[in-house]
Parts: sequence; structure tokens; C-alpha cells
Amino acid sequence: MVSISRRMALMATVAIAGFAVTAAMADGLPPLKQKATYKVGFAQTESNNPWRLAQTASMKDEAAKLGWQLVYTDAAGSAAKQVADVNSMIAQGVDAIFLSPREEKPLIPAVMAAKKAGIPLFLIDRSVDPNLAKAGVDYVTFIGSDFLLEGKQAADWLVKKVDGKGIILEIEGSTGSSPANDRKKGFDDVIAQNPGLKIVASQTGNFNRDEGRKTAEALLQAHPEANIIFAHNDEMAIGAISAIEAAGKKPGKDILVVSIDGEKDGLQAIIDGKMGATVECNPKFGPAAYAAAIKYSKGEKIPATMTNTDRFYDASNAAASIADSY
Amino acid sequence: MSQVQTQGPTAATRRIDALAAVMRYSTLGALVALLIFNVLFTRHFLAMQTLDVNLTQVAAIVIVGVGMTLVIATGGIDLSVGSLMAISGAIAPIIFLNKVFNIGEIHLAVAVAMIVAVLLAGAFGWFNGWLITRFRIQPIIATLVLFIAGRGIAQVMTNGNLQPFKLDAFQWIGLGRLFAITDVYRGLPIQVAIMIVLVVVAAWVLKRSLFGRQILAIGGNERAARLSGVPVAQVKRWVYCISGLCAGVAGLVVIAINSSSDANQVGLGMELDAIAAVAVGGTLLSGGRATITGTLIGALIIQLVRYTMLANGVPDDVAKLAKAALIVAAVWLQGQGRA
Repeated sequence: MVSISRRMALMATVAIAGFAVTAAMADGLPPLKQKATYKVGFAQTESNNPWRLAQTASMKDEAAKLGWQLVYTDAAGSAAKQVADVNSMIAQGVDAIFLSPREEKPLIPAVMAAKKAGIPLFLIDRSVDPNLAKAGVDYVTFIGSDFLLEGKQAADWLVKKVDGKGIILEIEGSTGSSPANDRKKGFDDVIAQNPGLKIVASQTGNFNRDEGRKTAEALLQAHPEANIIFAHNDEMAIGAISAIEAAGKKPGKDILVVSIDGEKDGLQAIIDGKMGATVECNPKFGPAAYAAAIKYSKGEKIPATMTNTDRFYDASNAAASIADSY
Repeated sequence: MSQVQTQGPTAATRRIDALAAVMRYSTLGALVALLIFNVLFTRHFLAMQTLDVNLTQVAAIVIVGVGMTLVIATGGIDLSVGSLMAISGAIAPIIFLNKVFNIGEIHLAVAVAMIVAVLLAGAFGWFNGWLITRFRIQPIIATLVLFIAGRGIAQVMTNGNLQPFKLDAFQWIGLGRLFAITDVYRGLPIQVAIMIVLVVVAAWVLKRSLFGRQILAIGGNERAARLSGVPVAQVKRWVYCISGLCAGVAGLVVIAINSSSDANQVGLGMELDAIAAVAVGGTLLSGGRATITGTLIGALIIQLVRYTMLANGVPDDVAKLAKAALIVAAVWLQGQGRA
């Protein structure tokens, strides 16, 4: 099983990286000089949803606050362009690179190019294939949410809510991206332990509202018996809610929607009773990312993964949390 | 079918006529074959809702495809349609959400927003035509300018932010329905009605009007057309302008369904879907022979292939391959037509 070996590799990576933090620095991981201000690069993967926009805003705002110079690029959904973006950052001589890799394998060359150029690289929100690049050896660390846990939390809530019975349609994120892979695995594993729950279809909606809606429309028509939709992010969930309404059904009543992200429109859908719950995936990376860089420049120990703490939203707390949502 | 010839029936054109007939029936045949496959293998296919889903999803492609057919009929191409959709989709909410100036009456605001958005897209289309005719730039390069810059313009207008809204008066264009019969029929979706009207008008124009004849004459042999008195530059500018107007309407439809406008997403990849629909429909990509109904059928085939894959659990990536295979088959058939 690919996924099992991947998880084992990940665990091995964590373990090895744990032991090897100090050794790794001698072993090729480029150091970061202590300076008053830095010129850093942020390679964004795409800007097609509020989550990405909030993440970019956070990286820019925090850089401005610290007085750092930020080189910002947007790969517009192309892994090839993102590799080129990182190379152009290397050419511009940035001190450190923050990369949000679009896909797990295609971004390996970017990670390796930064290492070779002697520029420390931090992965944020998405990771790369742990068999090909290792934290503490090829890049400093991965800062982000635990996507497996997000999928699991969504599934756990669902199992409780529907008493272990239901027919599920799953709207996946961009094929091959780590949040889509891990959220699916985290969710599907829990569902597999509940014989009363069944996933009858699972298709991509590419993390955006329009495609999420189109996919949901087709799946709802082919599987009218379904009564649950799990979407890998809120934008697709909101698209799915339009699809449910277009099919003449009531979201929240005929069909339960559960999702991940916790964006403003998602919380509003919970308040309106159209969505059941959403697992937060906090996009405000700026403070944590730059703090990690400063820590690294001082030669402090950096763990192989730094996990964000995420909240869980349902009808009980959505209204109270919507103000500081994005 | 609005299959149109520019010359009289010589031996050569009769042969093309025969091949055109084969092509016409091969695209129609492909659609019928797809329908039969779905009736047999796709669950819950024979339902009003299936028709509804597919027609509402295909409407934007067809609306853009109508303009694209006219452009391709002149021997040109328009890569900017997706970006023009984004511009139209970005400007409309800015106006009806009263972000720039305050229009008190909401229906008036919506009307102004729609008209300005569509006209702006049309103006950009006109600009494409002007570049092409004034400077003799190849259409693929001239429209590439707005393909790149257009989305940038839309992003600058909105600061790259999503514009969410909930406004029935506007969303009527994407969610409204006509001729509903209580408990029997939910009604014809507005965007499908727009699509049908556009198809009928464009098919008539292409087949019967002087303007249509001029378009085909230019596509068939631009020099001969110019020498025989066709105002080539003027016709071309109008054609690109129409393509822009169609894109503007499609942009409004897409944002209305999603109740949000995202300059980064609206119309993304639409130029390829529209060109694919035109090619699969049997319009000659080198110009001179065009069919609007063919484009409609081509778009329906592409949509139905995607729906079939989704409903039967085949991943989207494979659906894209199937779409590519369809285009190859269509172009191959066209090659047979010229041999």
C-alpha cells in the first residue's frame, strides 16, 4: 500500500529528523545568518480562493510589520511555474524561501535548487514527498495543519451526528495535492470503520466553488440516495450547497454538508443551517513562519513538522467565531 | 443545421457538401451514441434534472462558442474570451454593490451593471479586432494580449479579492426560470433561454444575412473578398466585438450561479472549451465554413462526456483525455474533408 508506506516514511522522517537536527546542519542544510532584517521569498501556489488570499495577506502583513522585504510570486496553479518562481527567488538572492508546494512530487526540484544555492527553505501549509526530500536535511521544516487529522475530525463529527448511518458523496481537492490526499485518507479511514456509512462517489472539484458545484450537480443526479456531502474545502462545500438547492433539496435537512477550512462564507452557511460543520485550517501563517526563520537563524532546534492548532466549528460556535474569520 | 457554402455548387463543392453531410451526421451520431450509452449505463440518467444540470452547465460554453464560431469563420481565433468573462464578472458586482457610486434603486443598479459589464467586454473585443485589422497582427497573438492582460485588469479592479453577493435581482440571470408549471416543470433556466436565443439568431445571421455571407467570404478567401468589395476590416472588428459581448454575457451567468465573483477563476480555460466545441462541431478552423448548430452539438458532446465520466466514477483527468481525443477525431474528419 502506497499510503501506508508513505505514512511510515513520514514517521521515519520525523524520527530521523528529530535525531538529526543538529547533525543535519553540518550535513548540508544551509544556515541563516542573524540579521536585523531579511529579504525573504514567498512562493504562493495559486490565488483562487479566500483561503489563499488570507494566507498571502498574512505573509505580506507580517513581513511589513517586521520590516522585512518580501519577494512574492504566484504560480497560478502551475507546478512548473512554481519551480521557476523559486529559481527566480534564488537568482534574486533572498535569505530564505517560504514555499507552499502545489503538488508533492513536482516541487522536489525547487526544494533541491534552494538547498544547492545555500538558501534555507521552509515548507508551509503543504508538504512534498517525504521519500524524495526530508525535513532537516533538504528543507528546514514543514509548518502547517495536520490534514489527516482534519479529515478524521470531519469524519468523527459526522459519525456521531448521523449515528453511523448514511450515504456519502466526497468532493476532493486538487488531484495530487497533499491536503486532498491526506484529508481523503483521514476521512475515508474513519468511514471504513463504520459499516453503516458508505462513500458512493468521490471526485475532484479542484478546491474552487464553480467546479465544486458542477461536480456536486453531476454526483447528486447520479446518486440521488446520498444524504451527506463531504467537501475538502469550504468553497467547494458552498458550491455543493448551490447544487443541492438546484436539485430541489434542502441543504442541512435532506443533505448534510461537512467541510474543512472555516472561511467566513463557510461559517455563514453553518449559521444559516445549510452546513453542518467545518474543521478550521488556519491560513494566517505569517507570524509562525517568520518566527521559525528567526529561531532557525539563532541555531535553535527546529522540529521536522510544526503543526498549527486548528479549531472546530459547528452550530454551537460559528456565530461567535465569524468576526475573526477570513 | 446551418451549413453554409460561399460558392456555387461546382463539382468540388459538391464533394465538400457530401463530406459536410458525413461530418454533420458524425457529430450528431456521436451525441446520440453518448446519449444511448448514458441511458444504458448511467444511473438515473433519464430524468428532467439530468437535462437541467447539463443544460445549465453547458450554457456558458455555448454562449461563448457562438461568438467564437463567428470569429473562426473569418479564419481568426479569440483567446481572450475567458479573460473578458473575468472582466465582465468583476465589474458587474462593483457596480451593483454600489462600491464606486451609489445607485439607489436596486433594479436600476443591476440593469446598469449588466449593460456596462457586457458593453465593456464588447469594447475589449472591438479592441482585439482593431489590433488585428489596423496592425495586421495575427489573431492568435493579438488576442493573446488580452488573454494575459484581461485577467490582470479584472484582478486589479477587485484587488484579487472574492466578491460575494446575494441579490436575486441580479442572480436571476443564472438562477431564474421561465415557463414554470407548478408541480410539473420547474421551468427553463434563464441562461439556457439566452443560449437558445443566441444560437437561433447567430445561425440565422450566418446563413441568411449579408453580414454572415461577408464573414464566410473573408474566411474562405480574404483577398478575393476584399477585391469584391467586402469591408473586411469593419466586418472583422464587428465579429471580435460580438465575441466579446458573448463573453460578457457568459461572465455574468457564471458569477450569478456561484453568487460570488472571483477574478482569478471566472472563465478560466473557457477559450479552450469554446474552441473545442467549435472544432468538434465541424466548423473549419481555417475559416470559410461554419456551423452554429454544430457548435451547440459540439459543446453538448464535451459536456456530456464530462458528465458521463463524473457520474460513472471516472476521474476528471481521464475526462480531459477523452475531450482531447474528441478534438483529434474532429480535426481528423476535417482533414478528410479537404483531401
